[in-house]
Amino acid sequence: MEVFETPLPGVGSRYEFTTAAGERVGVVARRDRRREFVVYDELDRDACRASVELTGEEAAVVVELLGGTKLTERLSDLRHEVEGLAIEWVTMAPNIGLTGRMIGEARIRTATGASVVAVIRQGTSIPGPGPELSFEAGDVVLVIGAVDSVRAARELLTG
Amino acid sequence: MIAATGQGNLFIELGAILLILAVVGRIAGRIGLPPIPLYLASGLLLGEGSTFSLEASAGFIRTCADIGVLLLLLMLGLEYTPDELRTGLTTGWPAGLVDLVANSAPGLIAGLLLGWGPVAAVVLGGVTYISSSGIIARQLFDLDRMANRETPTVLTVLVFEDLVMAIYLPVIGILLVGGDAGEAATAIAVAVGVVSAALVIASRHSHHINRALDTGSSELLLLGILGFTLLVGGLAEQVQVSGAVAAFLVGVALADRVAERGREVLLPIRDVFGGLFFVYFGLQIDPATLPPVLLPALLLATVGAGTKTATGWWAARRAGIGPRGRLRAGFSLIPRGEFSIVIAGLAVASGVDKDFGPLATAYVLILAVVGSVAMRFADRVPIRAPRPVARTGAAG
Repeated sequence: MEVFETPLPGVGSRYEFTTAAGERVGVVARRDRRREFVVYDELDRDACRASVELTGEEAAVVVELLGGTKLTERLSDLRHEVEGLAIEWVTMAPNIGLTGRMIGEARIRTATGASVVAVIRQGTSIPGPGPELSFEAGDVVLVIGAVDSVRAARELLTG
Repeated sequence: MIAATGQGNLFIELGAILLILAVVGRIAGRIGLPPIPLYLASGLLLGEGSTFSLEASAGFIRTCADIGVLLLLLMLGLEYTPDELRTGLTTGWPAGLVDLVANSAPGLIAGLLLGWGPVAAVVLGGVTYISSSGIIARQLFDLDRMANRETPTVLTVLVFEDLVMAIYLPVIGILLVGGDAGEAATAIAVAVGVVSAALVIASRHSHHINRALDTGSSELLLLGILGFTLLVGGLAEQVQVSGAVAAFLVGVALADRVAERGREVLLPIRDVFGGLFFVYFGLQIDPATLPPVLLPALLLATVGAGTKTATGWWAARRAGIGPRGRLRAGFSLIPRGEFSIVIAGLAVASGVDKDFGPLATAYVLILAVVGSVAMRFADRVPIRAPRPVARTGAAG
């Protein structure tokens, strides 16, 4: 699918392409971040049959509705870039697992190979917690490592 | 006491004029016309030869008008990035040249035929040449034609015209004060040099300029840009370079975020001073002087509409646009407006033939209205367009 870009001096840029169904479709990206989505006419191929003007926000909503946020796609891309890397958020429940134990005591890395890289406690994040930090109920623990390691760490943390 | 009365009168006159502009602008919006011709008309009705005498405000309005010109051109420069100007120059020069020759010729010839002398003829050529970027861009938005395939052709021609203006204005500035051909040639060389240098500096150092002016506060940005533009414009005038062109170059030099926010904060100010500029021009013309020049103006306008349509048609055909699009492009170049009045204003201020001002006013009024209407109804003109290929559909 080839997208053609044409600069509109003083306005922004225009992008257009032909869909598989044979319709010619375009987007005018204005410099004030507004967008215009247009469908070109069949008879007069230079004019637009229909056009919709969208604010920056509305354009973002349409992108989401049309299928998949860029953000989640990018995150999953990131994960794929490091083959076999897993990231997990584990919530500590009261009185089970490693709740009440210190990180150093628990020896998560030695036992499973996964690392505890941050703990979020009551809205504040503690990045890179030392071995003397104790897990409390309600903590959200960020664990990173190989897929199996992270699974094992989760089991260890939550008992 | 006298001073107090004078102040009061100034406020009354100024306030009345601005209110009239507001009302008139609203009417223009209602009937689908751009406001510029109506601002001009208001000035006509209020100025010379009318029952109102605007003594108290005349000097002030004149100053506002001068600032208005600077702001009009600053905003124009802000619209474009240096890249767009460069692209416009490199891809648009064939159409730009055709536009220049075809559309300045009528004015040139008319000026000579009317016996106004070569200088006035060159200035009249400029008046007939340049289309109104302000009116055209606005109409393209209102008519939802920004995405049309012929629109880039139109916009590129306008870019080229604006670049030509950057060279043309200093030249006629010299000619109008009685300089000779040699001085005019020097002026061209200097102008080309300055414009090119400004474009290069702007492209290379846009991030420096950005950082220097990019404060968090809109108020400071406004003060900064306004002050800088007026300063540069004034300094330019001192060395015989057109202040308006200097303002244009300042606009071009401002980049990205500064340009974007600059446009936002300056737009209202430009509207006030720009409106007063048109009114001021109209104020100087006595409506009674219009009828004698009406016939030549109509003739010139008809020719001007024809040459612009032909230019647009040709440029669009070169770009591979179909017949309907070519007609739209041609009609889109017809409107004349702010730049023609700027040029005519320079001529009137330096004392050309007494009919120059009225002729230019009538010409711009006619084509601003006719051009806007033509743009709107371009698609209703019957044209033989190629038959559509039947879509293979359901029945097969």
